[in-house]
Amino acid sequence: MNQRIANSLGLGTLALIVTSLWMVFLYVPTEADSGIVQRIFYFHVPCAWITFAAFGLAALSGAFYLWLGQQLWDDLGYAAAEIGMVFCTLVLATGSIWAKPIWGTWWTWDSRLTSTFILWLLYGGYLVLRNLADDTPQVARFAAVFGLAAVIDVPVIIISVRLWRTIHPAVLLTRSGEHGLQDPRMIATLLVSGLAFAVMFAWLLLLRFALLRTHSRVFAMRRELALLRLSSSRIAV
Amino acid sequence: MGSIAAILRKDLTLEVRGAGSTISLVVFSILVLTVLVIAFGPSPSSAETAAGTLWVALIFSGALGASRAIAAEREDGAIYALLLSPVDTGAIFAAKFAAAFIFIGVAEAAALVLVALFFGLDFSTTLLRLGAILLLGAFGFAAIGTLLAAISTRTRIGDLLLPLLVIPTFVPALIGGVKATVAVLSRAPLADVAVWLRIIIAFDILYAVAGYLLFDYVVGE
Repeated sequence: MNQRIANSLGLGTLALIVTSLWMVFLYVPTEADSGIVQRIFYFHVPCAWITFAAFGLAALSGAFYLWLGQQLWDDLGYAAAEIGMVFCTLVLATGSIWAKPIWGTWWTWDSRLTSTFILWLLYGGYLVLRNLADDTPQVARFAAVFGLAAVIDVPVIIISVRLWRTIHPAVLLTRSGEHGLQDPRMIATLLVSGLAFAVMFAWLLLLRFALLRTHSRVFAMRRELALLRLSSSRIAV
Repeated sequence: MGSIAAILRKDLTLEVRGAGSTISLVVFSILVLTVLVIAFGPSPSSAETAAGTLWVALIFSGALGASRAIAAEREDGAIYALLLSPVDTGAIFAAKFAAAFIFIGVAEAAALVLVALFFGLDFSTTLLRLGAILLLGAFGFAAIGTLLAAISTRTRIGDLLLPLLVIPTFVPALIGGVKATVAVLSRAPLADVAVWLRIIIAFDILYAVAGYLLFDYVVGE
């Protein structure tokens, strides 16, 4: 059952990514101000959406884990945080590629760049914690608590960094409340790319989640086996 | 309240009788200052440099100091006795948080005096204002540091893990702190300082509350 859902999500991802590549490179008109490089925007923005969704999901699963104590939530949080990290890296990379010709530099300490980078560091710490505390039985609770501590930091980070400095273009919603995508084809391309990345996210999440579930089950079985052996050896004595 | 005071008194007695955390932290932050003065050149003058130096010293001494009070409990499994005693885990958090705050605060006070000497700041109300800002920073750092130290001291490489977790979390308070310090040093009007202070205070409250609520999940079995 899971396998069939995973397969159809995989096929859906393939079809949608091919469609969105066609739209990004052939269908959508070139943006007048920044030229051809603007096309990376259609991958950059969906990656950012997925990053936020994934990290949000990780924190939410952490909260559910602390509340209900079921291993399932921990596995879901772990899977989401890992995939979020991949997409966060992609956001930074695609943003950097865009920034070089437009701003003339690979990196600048703009507010959104800085916030995203700090988010990247936070979840980097989260994954290091998960890896290093792997042999500690409380690792799930540690990860959940740090995930919550990180997510409540996000609004404070965004506010502080925004006060600190900002030059990022406000494409989707400008100060005057309009968006910067004049051509309807641009909006269509963005939406299709967004959908493609959302389906890809769901696919990756399902695969990783299933793997972690299996891992947890094997771990639980091993522990049960060890306990059984222990009690039978006691009976023998 | 009584149990918080009792645990804190125990930690401070331990400290006074020779645990040496505070001395090490003070020496450490002096070393950080020396390194930074060498790195920036012997006659740094700008407000940014002085502010940066102070906050780097806070981050480093904080990253070491935040886990001391918890690490001491972990050493001989004394934490279990503490957890078994009829004390709320929130009270344990509050006491450990207070101890970490005192350790980091003392180290920061030493750093501030030295920065004033090295950078030729005049000993006036400016210094008091800077001290207040740094204490607000130390408060936030001690709060998040104590919560995360309960995690990091349980792992194999605790002392390495703690900075990895605390420093990115501390970034908003760091931005607020550095900016407020620069504003005070360049004699900006109070309103310019207040904007940044608000961020640090928000951070402090957020993590004092979060630490109090979440500590229970990470300290026990």
